Amino acid sequence: MKFFEKLSQIDRRWIFLLVALAVIVPLLSRMGLPDKPGKYSLQLFEAVERIQPNSQPVLISADYSPSMMPELDPMFRAMVRHCLARKVRLIVMTLDPTGAGLAEDALRQIAPEYGAAYGRDYVFLGYKVGAAIVIMSIGENIRQAYPTDAYGTPIDSLPMMADVRNYADIPLVVDIAGSAVINSWVIFAGARYKARVGAGCTAVSSADYYPFLQSGQMVGLLNGMKGASDYEYLNQQRGYTSVPRVAGKGMDAVSIVHLLIMGFIVLGNIGYFVAKKNAQPK
Amino acid sequence: MKQKLPLLIVLVLGIFFTIQFFVPSRASEVTYQTTLQWWLVMSSFAMVLALGSLINHHALKIKRRKEGWWNSWVTLAGIAVMGGLGILGGPSFRMGWANDAYTRLFLFVQAPMDSAMFAILAFYMASASYRAFRARSREATVLLVSGFVVMLGIIPFGAMLWHRIPDIAEWVMMVPNMASKRGILFGIGLGATATALKIILGIERSWLGGGGK
Repeated sequence: MKFFEKLSQIDRRWIFLLVALAVIVPLLSRMGLPDKPGKYSLQLFEAVERIQPNSQPVLISADYSPSMMPELDPMFRAMVRHCLARKVRLIVMTLDPTGAGLAEDALRQIAPEYGAAYGRDYVFLGYKVGAAIVIMSIGENIRQAYPTDAYGTPIDSLPMMADVRNYADIPLVVDIAGSAVINSWVIFAGARYKARVGAGCTAVSSADYYPFLQSGQMVGLLNGMKGASDYEYLNQQRGYTSVPRVAGKGMDAVSIVHLLIMGFIVLGNIGYFVAKKNAQPK
Repeated sequence: MKQKLPLLIVLVLGIFFTIQFFVPSRASEVTYQTTLQWWLVMSSFAMVLALGSLINHHALKIKRRKEGWWNSWVTLAGIAVMGGLGILGGPSFRMGWANDAYTRLFLFVQAPMDSAMFAILAFYMASASYRAFRARSREATVLLVSGFVVMLGIIPFGAMLWHRIPDIAEWVMMVPNMASKRGILFGIGLGATATALKIILGIERSWLGGGGK
């Protein structure tokens, strides 16, 4: 019986070691677990698919910080690749001060892959303080929130922005965020200005956004690492990119860690019930 | 007067913008657009205020030699270096070397440190779920089972075990989860409306400072 009781008292250092191995080994190996894209990832992907090439632009707000990078950066990169591969114009902005560096770095790497030209195929508006106020300002006139892009160039001098005034000229708004700012996009851009809103969020916060999916206030949702992996998979399946799947590899690690945590929970409960049974007077 | 003036501004603007939302006239639109610009400017001032407050807090900590005061030097140096490089490399000065240094510091110092801090959570979560996630009661068992199903449903192993597991996981998210979330959202909505009304009418005054006295 002592064996079972010990099961509920494993030293946490062993747990830490096993978690580290469960993360590192899949990342270094080539597991390549199968992927079946989720319904809401597919919906967001299809929403971008429906936009005509070289027409009105998609707006992506990269509202995440480095702490959320493993889940959200592959999501952002996969969406940028999808848009640029299909010649769908792209407006990128951020409401997170640290998101500007991450988004700019991604654009700098991805744009040359598709021969995308700045100002013609994509623009980077940078960071603007104000969150909900910025979202509402874009609803009136994007120039009100962003008179210039991130590099100080007046928006009016950028060719692809000539016909863009507000959400009416943007067929899809996607917020990739690690905070509750997604709510502001749904409430202000979606409900007030009738923009079509999609989102990408961390797995821990995804439960908050399911009501918006059911009510149709969101066209799709990328749920954490799984959502990012789904989008990368769909990009590869449709031939938009051949770059290795970063989130796909991350999903291998997540899968193993999930199994490990479930195993720990089962062990902990076995130990708990055995100890409880032993404590009962015979 | 010090209290009455802000209360009066909130009362007038609160009522005005509540009515404005429902009045589709040109004058109403222009007023709204103008105030949006004011709010953007005010948001920027809030950022300056926050920065000033942060610097002041750490300067005082250093001056009074409070515990861990030397950490405040790191914070202040970080603000000075990143702020300085950001300004010099930005659209106003366009110094290439400063922009390059800023980008490198951000991508190779700040981003990994920030990610590492968050990554530590995985270890604590694994340890905590092992120790605390016990089927102690009926409610805890329901939570445990639904957590298991959702975790299995997300990963490929779930579908490998049984092809319906991802569907069950989605049902958990779309039905019981959403029912509770909707309840919470309604509560938040009603609470926010009630609080907004109390602020507009001057019943709730804690935002003025002094604990509402």
